[in-house]
Amino acid sequence: MRNCRISFPESLAVFVSLLCCASVLLAQTAAPPKPANAPAPQASSRLPDLSGNWAISPGGTSWDPSDPNGTKPEHLPMTPWGLEQLRAAKPPFGAHQSFEPNDPHQRYCDPPGTLRMYSYPWQFTIVQTPAQVYLLFEYLHVWRVVTMDRPHPKDLDSSWLGDSVGRYEGDALVIDTIGYNDKTWLDMVGHPHSDQLHTIERLRRLNHDTLELELTIEDPKAYTQSFTSKKTFKLSSFPMGETMCSLSEDQSFQQNIMDRTVSSPPAK
Amino acid sequence: MQKKFLLISAFAAGLLIAGPAFAHHGTAGYDMAKVVTVTGTVTKVDWSNPHIVVYMDAKDAQGNLQHWSLELSAPLLMQRFGWTKNSVKAGDQLVAETHPAKNGAPVGASGAATFVLKFVVNGTPLPVVGGTPPPRE
Repeated sequence: MRNCRISFPESLAVFVSLLCCASVLLAQTAAPPKPANAPAPQASSRLPDLSGNWAISPGGTSWDPSDPNGTKPEHLPMTPWGLEQLRAAKPPFGAHQSFEPNDPHQRYCDPPGTLRMYSYPWQFTIVQTPAQVYLLFEYLHVWRVVTMDRPHPKDLDSSWLGDSVGRYEGDALVIDTIGYNDKTWLDMVGHPHSDQLHTIERLRRLNHDTLELELTIEDPKAYTQSFTSKKTFKLSSFPMGETMCSLSEDQSFQQNIMDRTVSSPPAK
Repeated sequence: MQKKFLLISAFAAGLLIAGPAFAHHGTAGYDMAKVVTVTGTVTKVDWSNPHIVVYMDAKDAQGNLQHWSLELSAPLLMQRFGWTKNSVKAGDQLVAETHPAKNGAPVGASGAATFVLKFVVNGTPLPVVGGTPPPRE
């Protein structure tokens, strides 16, 4: 019986915890439409509400903040190793775009990498819980988990999406990620990265209908200094859908469309 | 219906603010400054990722039969533009605008993330997306 007793401070802590959980979850439920410039809603008195389906506009194919469409991909401060990787890339967009790509995502349906997920013109949604935040992408149905308020594990294995930890700073969700493998590109114009990549994403709602991403990239093996870029996403009224990468469908498209535009046309 | 049209228009306008048209690949293979009109019969439709492809038989100016392949955007984006998988089918009569391949092959881009050119199926136009296209040939 003694074990069942809860002191007042303990019960208060439980109550406050439940209140926080409830307010975050309530923020995910549907609400009547609001003006686009309405103030950003708050999930609770402390946590920003980032829920919603966020539309990614086409464009911004490069993370170079001064060259968002990759017209001068060599402009970023690159190491000799980074420059060598960039020159070997045949990307789908930018100054070096090709219809005979060696983009691992386009050729093999490999995961395109965390940062490229913000460039495909579909939607993503954010689900906030007290212990984890989930980013769910329409494209490929990729889901990322951000573990809140803990450090990165020691002796981390590298992976496609890396290890993401998060915290709230004011109105922003800050996601710190390391542990990426080196099999993906930073963006659609072939900027490389290594397994030393470290990214910091700051997601905050500028107003009810606009989400801003401020992304800081550092990778001492590929770049001589870090750089920071921004993107914004608009709240969408479309439900989440499905867009997959199927190797058989991709190969059919490559053969029936792309290969035919780079080969000599048939003799008349 | 009006609300749906406005939603699609707003969505398309949002897409048009940005630069590149395609989600999956660039424009390296196409002459995006040119639009040609192809008239013929649909032989097959691949309503699949990464892009829908419409195959059609059409005759060139000399009367020779050509097997055209016209690329559109991905199914999910085309649905958001107001198309369905039944919008165009094998056997339909089609008048389609397209950005032709640079190498002269009968391949074209008729739709992407930021535009859909004129597509008239059995006399009925399908939803068009985007601003003023380049001069026609």
